[in-house]
Amino acid sequence: MDCNEASAKLLDRRRNKLDARVAAELDAHLETCEACRAEDAKDAALTAALDKLPRRRASAALKRSLETRWVARPRLARTGGMLAAAGVGAALAAAAFFLFFGWHGRGSSDAIFAEAVNDHLRVLYAEHPVEVQSGGVHQVKPWFAGRLDFAPVLAFGGDDEFPLQGGAVAYFLDRKAAAFEFKRRLHAITLFVFRADGLSWPTPSRSIGGQRASIETQRGFHVLLWRRDDLGYALVSDVDERELLTLGAKIAGESHE
Amino acid sequence: MLAEALAHADSLFRLAYHFTGTEADAEDLVQDTFARAFGAASQFTVGTNLRAWLFRILRNAYIDSYRRELVNPVRGGLDDEAPPDASPPARELLRDDEELERLRSVVAEDIEAALMTLTVDARTVVLLDLEGLTETEISTVLGCAVGTVKSRLTRARALLRERLRDYAR
Repeated sequence: MDCNEASAKLLDRRRNKLDARVAAELDAHLETCEACRAEDAKDAALTAALDKLPRRRASAALKRSLETRWVARPRLARTGGMLAAAGVGAALAAAAFFLFFGWHGRGSSDAIFAEAVNDHLRVLYAEHPVEVQSGGVHQVKPWFAGRLDFAPVLAFGGDDEFPLQGGAVAYFLDRKAAAFEFKRRLHAITLFVFRADGLSWPTPSRSIGGQRASIETQRGFHVLLWRRDDLGYALVSDVDERELLTLGAKIAGESHE
Repeated sequence: MLAEALAHADSLFRLAYHFTGTEADAEDLVQDTFARAFGAASQFTVGTNLRAWLFRILRNAYIDSYRRELVNPVRGGLDDEAPPDASPPARELLRDDEELERLRSVVAEDIEAALMTLTVDARTVVLLDLEGLTETEISTVLGCAVGTVKSRLTRARALLRERLRDYAR
């Protein structure tokens, strides 16, 4: 055995992963080779050093978020094969999730409203709900460049009634979204702009700013949804419904003229 | 399947932390990993190695985001930060006993800093070995032959030792 062969086997030797014959050959080599003995000692010291690395753990908040966002999801729950694969634990988690949020018996277009509320709450509960402070929409929008795989179209940059606070990258359902934060008195209003493809959209029920839109109230939050070309828009808040429609009209009107 | 994936959240987070260097970015990377896994769930074959599949997605997600950072004029870029595989400064040759002593004196933050100077794949192979992944699993993550994992691991560990000389106190 030469030094190159020996060097590649030192770690396995310390982990007792070598078969007896190879281990004996390596031991014989080490007996006569000072360089490889030194190499072995240094590599053992590296192992000891690596053991000093802290065993970081994902935070409870991250695990909760992963569970609610990706495990207990309506699409999984309705897909028999995937649910079977997910096992009993996921079924229980999904059931608890649906009971809590009252999704039983609802269609997938209702899920989009429920998830919009969840995502609005996640933005509000985030440690940094606004990642870029607003100096106007022309400051916030460029900030998303390189952070998303699409360019969010938004012309309305806030006004005295609905000042724009800033923006952040968030998730909407299974995709990344641009989240813009507006204020109305003490109420937070989140606008999600996201890729619209592949979602089950509800039938529009009204017109705002020249766009066909849908509105629904879930758990005290109003959700206004519309789509334009290949982008979807979800405006979510506990502000008065008429005020949300006013803001929606400003955004939809100015952004899509 | 994704319910089982939750069991790997801690180890995914650890690798993500050693890729990104901050807890906030690591959390984003793990979220991105789960989003991609959710989108690609139909491509996962039940009964194959979920842990390796998830680590592979995480590594690819990091590489994608790192490439985006390089061309992002708003946040960093080629002029602002050295790529993770930047060459270290030249160093003096040490006697074996001196090197051994330095290795014994490093602290966790030295090791973390030294790890960050390795290439993504060198970091990956060292850290996944530390997580207890088998050579077969690591080969799945890196997309290389099982036979090359051992030589990559040996080289990466040797390089890490070399880099640690700069951080030892």
